[in-house]
Amino acid sequence: MAAAEKKSRKRDKTTETPKEIAKRIEQSAGSIVKEIETKKDPTFVTQQRGKSNVEFDEKKGLLRLGDKETERNFLNIGHARKFMQTMLVSSKTRDYLKENKTASIREIYYELKHTLGTSKENTFEDQGESDGCIVDLEHSVDTIREKLNLHANPKGTLYGDVTLRDKVHNNDIFNALKLGRGGWSIMSRIEPDEIEIKKVNAKYVLVIETAAMYERLIEEGFAKKQKAILVGTGGQAARGTRRLVHRLHTEAKLPVIVFTDGDPYGWYIYSVIKQGSMALAAHSDYLACPEAKYVGMTLDDVKEYGLENVTERMKDGDIKRAKEMMAYPWFQNKEWQEQLKKALTQKIRIEQQALANKSLEFVATEYLPKKIKKKQFLP
Amino acid sequence: MTEEKIKPVGAEELAKEFKEHSVAEFFKKNKQMLGLYGKVRTLTTVIHEYVSNSLDACEESNILPDIEVKIDELGSEYYEVTVKDNGPGLTEATVGKALGQLLAGTKFHRMMQMRGQQGIGSAGCTMLSQTTTGNPTKVITGTGKSKPISLKISIDPKHNSPKITDLKKIDKEFRGLAIQAKFKDVLYRDSEQGPLEYLRRTAIANPHAQIKFRDPEGKSYNFKRTLNKIPKPPKEVKPHPKGITVDELITLSKYTKSRNVNSFLKKDFDRMGNKGLEEVAKRTSFDLKKDPKQMSWHESEEIVKAFREIDFIAPTLDALSPIGEAQIKGSLESIVHPEFLTVNTRKPQVYAGGFPFQIEIAIAYGGNAGRQISSGEMRMEIMRFANRAPLLFDQGNCAITKAVHSVDWKRYGLRDLETAPLTILVNFISVHIPYTGAGKQAIADEDEVMEEVRLALMQSGRKTGMYISRKRKEKEKQMKREMFYKYIPEVAGALSRITKKNEEKLKNQLEKLVLEKLKLEEAKDAAEMEAEEVKNGSLDEQEKEETKENKKKSKKKKGAEE
Repeated sequence: MAAAEKKSRKRDKTTETPKEIAKRIEQSAGSIVKEIETKKDPTFVTQQRGKSNVEFDEKKGLLRLGDKETERNFLNIGHARKFMQTMLVSSKTRDYLKENKTASIREIYYELKHTLGTSKENTFEDQGESDGCIVDLEHSVDTIREKLNLHANPKGTLYGDVTLRDKVHNNDIFNALKLGRGGWSIMSRIEPDEIEIKKVNAKYVLVIETAAMYERLIEEGFAKKQKAILVGTGGQAARGTRRLVHRLHTEAKLPVIVFTDGDPYGWYIYSVIKQGSMALAAHSDYLACPEAKYVGMTLDDVKEYGLENVTERMKDGDIKRAKEMMAYPWFQNKEWQEQLKKALTQKIRIEQQALANKSLEFVATEYLPKKIKKKQFLP
Repeated sequence: MTEEKIKPVGAEELAKEFKEHSVAEFFKKNKQMLGLYGKVRTLTTVIHEYVSNSLDACEESNILPDIEVKIDELGSEYYEVTVKDNGPGLTEATVGKALGQLLAGTKFHRMMQMRGQQGIGSAGCTMLSQTTTGNPTKVITGTGKSKPISLKISIDPKHNSPKITDLKKIDKEFRGLAIQAKFKDVLYRDSEQGPLEYLRRTAIANPHAQIKFRDPEGKSYNFKRTLNKIPKPPKEVKPHPKGITVDELITLSKYTKSRNVNSFLKKDFDRMGNKGLEEVAKRTSFDLKKDPKQMSWHESEEIVKAFREIDFIAPTLDALSPIGEAQIKGSLESIVHPEFLTVNTRKPQVYAGGFPFQIEIAIAYGGNAGRQISSGEMRMEIMRFANRAPLLFDQGNCAITKAVHSVDWKRYGLRDLETAPLTILVNFISVHIPYTGAGKQAIADEDEVMEEVRLALMQSGRKTGMYISRKRKEKEKQMKREMFYKYIPEVAGALSRITKKNEEKLKNQLEKLVLEKLKLEEAKDAAEMEAEEVKNGSLDEQEKEETKENKKKSKKKKGAEE
């Protein structure tokens, strides 16, 4: 299967029709069949994933997938199984596109899972195997998962004065400020042909790592008072959540401010919102917000707000992570190097909720409003 | 154990001692030493005495042996043994000496390879039967020339002389010897030390013999003849100068008929010519014309030292009668049915004492190789032979066993030697076997013997290893094919759904692709294997070095113990 032409990156992946994508799957399958007919080793080509093929685009400030390609040859003993799996995923995805159905990545896993002949081996032993094939297919036919009619489990919530229209569900129109205390549960498929952003009445988007902090800010009436849209990620941001933040940033021209725990894990969540992730480096154009800013927590806050008594010790995993991050090209600026160095020398971390040590409302009335007003951000 | 080793002189002494005591007393005293201990072992020894005598007799008369063995259970630990052969038979005059007189035909000082060197002899069995049951031994024998005779024989213990009763002529054509004797306090077992295993191994080492056996339960076994040729009978030989010790040289000098050392050396040693004598003269400080009987320990030392320095032609092979590669192959194939078999007959060597010896080795892998234990698991088996006679006992003390365990079998793809489906056959051939004790079931670990057995094992081990790795590759290939074939229907199905191409056709095409690929890999493997075999020549040298290393190590160890 020939790799998708690299030039096609410039094509707007969001406006392609299912028919066009199905056709590309058919083309690549056709070229594999041709290889079989001419007695060549059937080969599936996709872009190499992972750190070794991720580059940092300094100009645009986001992660990109490099040009390295990887081949999967059926006649290679180490590739055969993966090749077989990729063919199954290709075929099933094409069925979805043809039948205009969407499925979660867990559903496609279960749909394709069966025992091979009389052996004890299954087509897929766990969802990780089919997930990998889906990403390979995205790269190979140069599209995004949503366009393959596939989606992950939704995660992430939205609260604030933004009016959305769900085009695939009775054209429901709703305002995310009026859906109760929980806000709107962000769908994993959030493309413009499904969810339309009708109206926004806010000054910025605040992305929050922990669900507890998200709830605290809603209870304190932070969204209304500060004219903010709150997005709770519940840990690492899911693809749909990142896509929605990206759209609010690009379509509604809202600044994005990120608020996480003060530890390497939280800072990495910020970097994924801002520059994109290594796993989905190919889709940074659709997911990343290079202009996003970081409000906290920082290790400087500890001294600034007198939180010395409520810090925690960094665990071995945090230390390892900090060391790795110090070497990433997109963390090569004075401010972040300083933060990471501090973390490594002091070996402490500070959680968002540690601010409750001052008072429950402190975060909503003092910490965030002041820092945001004074633009006390990390880049 | 070395003080127990029986040397030619030892036998003479034994015979002397023998005259001084009564036979019964001697027998009682030496029963243990003669291997008659343990109920299972005693019965096996009895079978061994009869069968090896039959084999020796047939060979000497140029007859292809047909031997029938029967064991009947008469009561608790009470059996009757019947052995019948088609050999030359015994005459009325010889039967008494053969079966009714202990140590009559001793072969201890003859430098000739004979099975009968071991054990108590048939007369010992007569004695054993008589002392345990009070019964005489029944014999039918015919020479083919006169009418066969039947008789009962026992031993007069006071005079060590045969007592024959019920002598009758029989009106039947029969050539050969049939012996029937009863034994008490013995036990039949179907174990590695039992008569069945003994006969199986005897059959393997004697492919020219046909051996039939009926066990006490009435089960019959037939070990068929795989070779219609009688082995060349061995000749007597003189000791080779390279292996003689000072003590042995002195002993030999006392028995020689020569009047001076020169002729003693020339006549009593193998490969000793005028040139050799000249060399000895150059290296010694005394007059070689002196009477050998007057030779001092020091002078004897000088000669032995000279022998070590002088080059001699390798020992004569006439005294050795190996089974032969083709013969071992034939009998192992017929009895063990192995998947793989390699046989290696090494060149003769000499061990301390100037005795030529030769090692024959075979490794059988797979099939019925190895021994199934009662739990059903397989165990590697070592078949030890001394001059074709199976050694079933004292396995742990034997140089062969020690040599087997000194080899690093992992190098040959045998990760766990003990549970490998493996039969290792080692035949130690010599005019004089260096047994560790009078039980004659274990070979002493003389340096030269250990080294030679190790080398032979490593050579055959490597060949076996190559087979195993070839087989493993074959299995891998099969697994690979199965794996590809498992995925092909999925791939063909998926591609067919996308492209609407015929699924069956895609499947066939993919299968063909896989087979072609595996064929290519196989060709590559074969080329690698060939390169490996070319390398083998140089590996022999390497193995020799390793053996030397091993020797050094063991010597060091010995030194440390002292």
